[in-house]
Amino acid sequence: MLEHVLNGLYYGSILFMIASGMTIIFGVLGILNLAHGELYALGAFSAFSVIGFIAGQVAAPTGPVTAIVFGLVVLAGSLATAAVLLPVGGALEAAFIRPIYDRDEVYQLLLTYGLLLVLTDVMKFVWGPSPVDLGVFGGINEIPTTELVGINYPSYNVFVILIGVAVFAWLVWFFDRTKTGRIVRATAINREMSTAIGISTDRMFTLVFAIGAFFAGFGGAMVSIGPGSASLGMGLDWLVLSFVVIVIGGLGSLNGAFVGSILVGVSSRVVTPYYPQLELAVPFLLMVLVLLLKPEGLYGAWGEIQ
Amino acid sequence: MSRFLVDRDGETHVRLAEGMELTKSQAVLAAVGFVALLIVPDITRFTPLSFTAIHRGILFGLAAVGLNLLLRHTELVSFGHAAFFGVGAYAAAVLASQFDVSSGLLLLLGGVLAATTISVLIGYFVASYLDIYFALLTLAFNQVLYAFVLQSGYFNYSDGLNVRPDGLNPPALFGLQLSSTGYELVLYYFTVVVLIVSLLVMWKLVNSPFGRALDAIGQNRTRARFVGIPVEKYVWVAFVISGIYGGLAGGLFALLQLHVSPEATLYAFVSGEILFMAILGGFGTLVGPVIGGVVLVYLLVQAPFYIEYYNALTGLTLLAVVLFLPEGILGSIPKIGTGLSRRRRDPGLLREDLATIGSSLRRGVSRAVTTVRIIVFGVN
Repeated sequence: MLEHVLNGLYYGSILFMIASGMTIIFGVLGILNLAHGELYALGAFSAFSVIGFIAGQVAAPTGPVTAIVFGLVVLAGSLATAAVLLPVGGALEAAFIRPIYDRDEVYQLLLTYGLLLVLTDVMKFVWGPSPVDLGVFGGINEIPTTELVGINYPSYNVFVILIGVAVFAWLVWFFDRTKTGRIVRATAINREMSTAIGISTDRMFTLVFAIGAFFAGFGGAMVSIGPGSASLGMGLDWLVLSFVVIVIGGLGSLNGAFVGSILVGVSSRVVTPYYPQLELAVPFLLMVLVLLLKPEGLYGAWGEIQ
Repeated sequence: MSRFLVDRDGETHVRLAEGMELTKSQAVLAAVGFVALLIVPDITRFTPLSFTAIHRGILFGLAAVGLNLLLRHTELVSFGHAAFFGVGAYAAAVLASQFDVSSGLLLLLGGVLAATTISVLIGYFVASYLDIYFALLTLAFNQVLYAFVLQSGYFNYSDGLNVRPDGLNPPALFGLQLSSTGYELVLYYFTVVVLIVSLLVMWKLVNSPFGRALDAIGQNRTRARFVGIPVEKYVWVAFVISGIYGGLAGGLFALLQLHVSPEATLYAFVSGEILFMAILGGFGTLVGPVIGGVVLVYLLVQAPFYIEYYNALTGLTLLAVVLFLPEGILGSIPKIGTGLSRRRRDPGLLREDLATIGSSLRRGVSRAVTTVRIIVFGVN
């Protein structure tokens, strides 16, 4: 049971990294970004190249100390991977998303769907059509954390759960405490007013889209390091799931995305071993339930990051 | 003026029936479209075009016509229309493979009835929602159905069901057991009849008081409620009607493919494709979604045989439509037509066009430079 809950937390952390990017993009820019799943996949593929290169520079772990060094190197690698997504996200926003802010939402959906298809083929062009597997998972699992407290559980998963919490904490800190974060929130709440007091909304939007892409890429890198391989089309299921998460949590709410992803992750991982036929349906049943009872989501607040 | 030609606003209109009138250019387009529909089997025999892909595109287009009732008139974006398409297809498949119903028309009827039931149920829950919530709720119901079908042994999991009542032959059409070529042809012309009847019904519907009421709901719900329109009930009815169109298309799809799988009929991205067909063809028009359907299915299904990067081709087409042809393919024809005739009369406009292109390119480049600067040096 505890193992299922931990698996759920691991799953939820990955989901949160993707859904948080999507929810801040929706909260600030008002765009439901269908291409977000592909940014996540792009992160997974880039991790193959970036981490594959960086992890090749250090020796495979033999003892606790080298294992921790290896883990830190891989963590640095995933940050570097996600950093690749910053310029990509910024360029996408500036070139394609910016002209359509004041258009109907169907056009925004159509455009981001077009971007999804183009990005898929860009990845196919760069990494080829077959899945790539990074497989440094085993190396990180040498880090002896979980056996120390008496549970036999892959330490990599614990590592990812901690990173998920750290990402959440960083985002809350960023939007709550930093000047840039507050400016972003102000822009989300009232575009005209913030333009009037001299904030460049263009820059803010580019920045926010880049941050969203960054965390999607980070999630992708985590999955790619882990037991999963990077494959074309891997983004689709996660895209639909992150919809579910941000709807359960409330569109544009960061707390909501966190609670939503943990809820979806844990419930689906706890229910699946007992009722395997419900595996796919659980998140959507949750979503329908929440929408019917509380249409604005658990933490719903319109167009505002909080 | 004869019975079929009337003079209105100084222009000759072709009159098909009471309240159904076309301008001259619309009538020409309609006639061309009709003839093109009829000779599709001949065209595909002499060209490398695929008959099945066009047929399939028309079916998805029919579903998109149904969706367009919501999109164009009540301004609701349904992201779960594959639910009705899939339910229609699956009902036909279940009847054929589990109950050995061999009549194609009965299978179709079963599909339509099942889709109607489902749309009545879903419509009851979603009718009072708006905007993105409507889209996401319909998506959620669609995915619940998908997950249910995918993991149920009755529907044969992800492998799907065959639509062959005796395990070998396709269902009978109009009491005839046909060879495979004959079956395809008869089914195609049956589809054409269904399509034209559906389009005429839709035309009648949107020009009826009910259609006007839907327009009013789309423009402003509060005001519509204020003038006495039962908003939720009308949206519900419109939802069911569009569901029936989806079910009809799905049933025909099952008869065409003779195999139904959850991935091809019920997945969320099929919903998205149906929605994008309506926009691609022009959701401000009646026939646009059908054209969008044929174009998008062709891009998604046939392009892989010709080029490796077919997804990018489709994606770039969609980007081009959003950025340059927001009215869709059919919706842009009048605009392009007047633009061309003005340019023919006044060549000086061409120079202006070039200047516009140049300045927008310059703006794009300077925007890109700014973006790079922001990324390199950070913000503020």
